[in-house]
Amino acid sequence: MAAAPLRVIDFGRVSPLRSQTLWHAIAHGVSGGGPATLSLMQPAAPYVSIGYHVPYEDVDHERCSDAGLPVYRRMVGGGPVYLDDGQIFFQITVPVEDTPAVRSAAVAGLLAPAVRAFRAVGVAAVLEDHGDIVAGGRKVCGHGAGQIEGAVTVVGNLITRFDHAAAASVIRTPDEETSVELERLMRRHVAATPADPEAFRDAAVVEYTRALDRVAEFSHLTADELDALTELDERFTSPSWVEEPARRRGSTWRVKVKSGVWMAAAASGETRAALSVVDGRIEWARFADPMLNGAAAAVEDSCRGRTLGEAGLVLCRRGEPGMRLAGLLGDVEREIRR
Amino acid sequence: MAKLTVDGFVVRDDLAYDLEHHMWVEELGSGVVRIGMDALGLETSGTLAQLSFEPAEFDVDRGAAFGSLEAEKFVGPLIAPVSGRILAINEAALEHPGIVQADPYGAGWLIEVRAHRLDEERDRLLQGAEEIHSSFSAKIREYRVEGVLSE
Repeated sequence: MAAAPLRVIDFGRVSPLRSQTLWHAIAHGVSGGGPATLSLMQPAAPYVSIGYHVPYEDVDHERCSDAGLPVYRRMVGGGPVYLDDGQIFFQITVPVEDTPAVRSAAVAGLLAPAVRAFRAVGVAAVLEDHGDIVAGGRKVCGHGAGQIEGAVTVVGNLITRFDHAAAASVIRTPDEETSVELERLMRRHVAATPADPEAFRDAAVVEYTRALDRVAEFSHLTADELDALTELDERFTSPSWVEEPARRRGSTWRVKVKSGVWMAAAASGETRAALSVVDGRIEWARFADPMLNGAAAAVEDSCRGRTLGEAGLVLCRRGEPGMRLAGLLGDVEREIRR
Repeated sequence: MAKLTVDGFVVRDDLAYDLEHHMWVEELGSGVVRIGMDALGLETSGTLAQLSFEPAEFDVDRGAAFGSLEAEKFVGPLIAPVSGRILAINEAALEHPGIVQADPYGAGWLIEVRAHRLDEERDRLLQGAEEIHSSFSAKIREYRVEGVLSE
């Protein structure tokens, strides 16, 4: 028996809310026996999306409110992200029984056709071991994944234009200096690839039909999915869903910019440490402790370029304030290993 | 408690298992069970970044989600191996999901449940050293043939 076709739905420009709820409705449909589906859309206006487990307070709501950015919680993973019409979203949704039991293998398998689509439109993209799609060492596609009912959905985006300042500003940071460093890291490690969106869509259709061994069938939502969409529109705008109080964060603050690129901060009493860590080494540090007595800059310099473990040893040699800071670096190391 | 190593994965032979969803069940007495994830399921999930559980007093059916985990940006359900009412959740695991991977059969337990139909559902779980060993061994072999688990 021939496999069911790959349903393809290109929604074009849609509202920020629908740029989330449409593909969740598709997951409901696929879960109910619908065919595997490739969907695409472009948000007509900027907004912020937070991953399923992200604490609500990880977003700077004052800045979002000032900028008129709604915040929606999605049902797949990843951190808080700023999204706008410089990004074309794609989602591949398949029945859970059609995916490998090992989830990282499932995600890699469902991202691989997207990587080939990027390459088909001239982006020298590769899929790194940790799942990021990068070109020239910079992340060119954000992604998230999850099991929604009985379907697995992997989402990604073609970033034709990226507003690094806006992306950094919507994330709550311990202080302004950390926000500035976060924006610097984003500029260095996240890049837009101004490829033709229509060519990318066509290439994605070719690559996903080939990978799933199906023929493409351009289609639309079913009546059942439209019903689900109405419910999802309500849920995603409900404070109880978006603000979900049960989310936990460790005592250490962290943001992953891309694989191996982190901003993190930890505090204990009046001792504070904020760091950027790239490929295991400290690139930037800000320390505070009443006993540093104006020596903070020198201590920070002594840690730059070192691993967190090496920096911890250097700090311990400086006596009491250094030992407290080393403890915080240990907290950061545990947190970014998670 | 007796620990077995099956093709490199540790299991406890005094627990019962829902191998399809990689959950273990420990009977604590008076119809109360403790539930956690087995080492093979943790390996196939990747590094745990987040966990969430339904709250205490929540009624969950066998085969339904009692929470979710996130590993490498993938959010997946935690599936209940038995039906019952959640009595307790492991707050330490919520705060530090790494302990689930470090000590899956001990400090890394997930929830405790007052089971509703334990006599009936117990029979659907793997029990006994021989059955546990052979079933885990077959599942590990299956994963390796699929290429999703390294040798």
